[in-house]
Amino acid sequence: MRSLQLRAALLALMVSAGSFAAQPLAPEQLSIEPLPSKSPHWVFVIDEAFFNEIDARVRLFDGDSYRHLGQIDAGFSPGVIQSPDGSTTAVATTYYARGGHGARTDVVEFTDNATLAAAGEIVLPPKRAQIPPTYFNLAYSADARFIYVAYLTPAASFGVLDPAGKTVLAEIDTAGCVLVIPSGPNRVSSLCDNGKLLTVTLDPQGHEAQRSLSEAMFDADADPVFIQGAPSSGGYTFLSFLGQVHEVDFSGEQPSLHPPWSLVGASERGRWRPGGSQPLAINRALGRLYVPMHRGGEGSHKQGGSEIWVFDRNTHKRLARWPMAPSRLGAVTAVQVSQDDAPLLFAAGDHGAVGVFDALTGRLRHVDKDLGQTPWLFLNP
Amino acid sequence: MHPLDRLFEKSSRSLAQRTSRRSFVALLGQALTGSILLPLLPIDRVSRAQAANADPDAGAPPQHQSISGGARNSAHDDPQNCEYWKYCAIDGFLCSCCGGSSHSCPPGTAMSPITWIGTCHNPGDSRDYIVSYNDCCGKTSCGNCACNRNEREKPLYRLSRNNDVNWCMANSDSNYHCSVSVLLGLAEQ
Repeated sequence: MRSLQLRAALLALMVSAGSFAAQPLAPEQLSIEPLPSKSPHWVFVIDEAFFNEIDARVRLFDGDSYRHLGQIDAGFSPGVIQSPDGSTTAVATTYYARGGHGARTDVVEFTDNATLAAAGEIVLPPKRAQIPPTYFNLAYSADARFIYVAYLTPAASFGVLDPAGKTVLAEIDTAGCVLVIPSGPNRVSSLCDNGKLLTVTLDPQGHEAQRSLSEAMFDADADPVFIQGAPSSGGYTFLSFLGQVHEVDFSGEQPSLHPPWSLVGASERGRWRPGGSQPLAINRALGRLYVPMHRGGEGSHKQGGSEIWVFDRNTHKRLARWPMAPSRLGAVTAVQVSQDDAPLLFAAGDHGAVGVFDALTGRLRHVDKDLGQTPWLFLNP
Repeated sequence: MHPLDRLFEKSSRSLAQRTSRRSFVALLGQALTGSILLPLLPIDRVSRAQAANADPDAGAPPQHQSISGGARNSAHDDPQNCEYWKYCAIDGFLCSCCGGSSHSCPPGTAMSPITWIGTCHNPGDSRDYIVSYNDCCGKTSCGNCACNRNEREKPLYRLSRNNDVNWCMANSDSNYHCSVSVLLGLAEQ
């Protein structure tokens, strides 16, 4: 023992002497890390922070370096959307004057995506729909002239905002139809309980010029659609609880409904279902759909997928079934795919871990367990 | 859909489509003074994320998960367990794990006056009961016993059957704390 102590002391002396011999560390300068140039492999992860819900946040994550690049605060039960040019993140949220309680302020807050610094706000009437995040809690018009914000008090309406002037221009009643699906420079569609789409066209001042109802897209009793539609070529695509694919072309004056097609064969119908908080991702250029699928019955529509199924949008054929068990993500409740030609697939498990997959092969590249407690929605940059 | 569900859903949806905030407040006053027996609209909060997976039986009912809270009795009889029969379409934190009970809000919170009504089957007596799902409001998330069940639950456009929206939305302090399931009566004639 005595010999051991002697050797340890000698070693410490040598290390110490070595340290004295090396150059001292240079002083550091406190600074703000600049964001790197935007990559199609970035993803905005909306963490609803359900277990402490006044503290939702958006994390910016790089699917190549696996680095957390920064954060945007998101308050209580937020909606989050990107501006059409990708320069700005808009967060519609609620704050309480005393943290968990007190006077309610609803607001749309803007963040400069080049710096992640705050870039102004628009205070709303206290009517914002406090719902889980989707593409349609708030939305930009195609030319970014307007922002639309879904209201629910529980009477349904939406606000029209001027992001340049930072003002609220109007409130438009939607007769019980909900959410704001944008199209063109001045049209807003909402989902109605009778399966139709209400489309309101605005005048240049943001007030209602006309409205119309589409034919029925779905049957809310027999097979309702998830409200979490995904952007697709010319519009948005919605899934039904039983796996019907409803593609809607919003490029014209009125929404045009494509004939629905099915994710499941006759023997799978009602047995395998899509589910989760973001049950559909689409790579528009490749025409590929990614859907977390699970075995389950009625009432399982929020259950995550044990597999991700991949479909060709043009042929409607299933290209692959990727079991999620090897990834150890648990059931996959949210998916997003990058829009480049070497796409990444992001998948959130039901315990909050996020997997990064090669979206062409299904190969798992990385799992990140620190992207939030309840990452319910991913947005592309 | 159960006929009573349909009845309540129809009236509450119609209400949501026609009602201004002011008339809603008037109705709220009636409800608070007891002149309206049944709550008006759907309730609640979301928590997705919970459901376990890998159900080996095709078409089997969804699995649920109680994050915390013990299973002291059998799951169907334990108000602190997500499987408790009255919670068949609840989505949020169980108030029974937060200082309240299955039908009472924790001290210092406020009841949501608007709610949605469903029917749940009680395996104890094999009867269907009408339950009102209410949120308890005015404090931040309880965080205990997250529970997500969705029998006959519908998306937001059918508000009277939706448990994703914050049913504290019309409270003066609309922060969401936890959820209860209040038994209103037999669904059978």
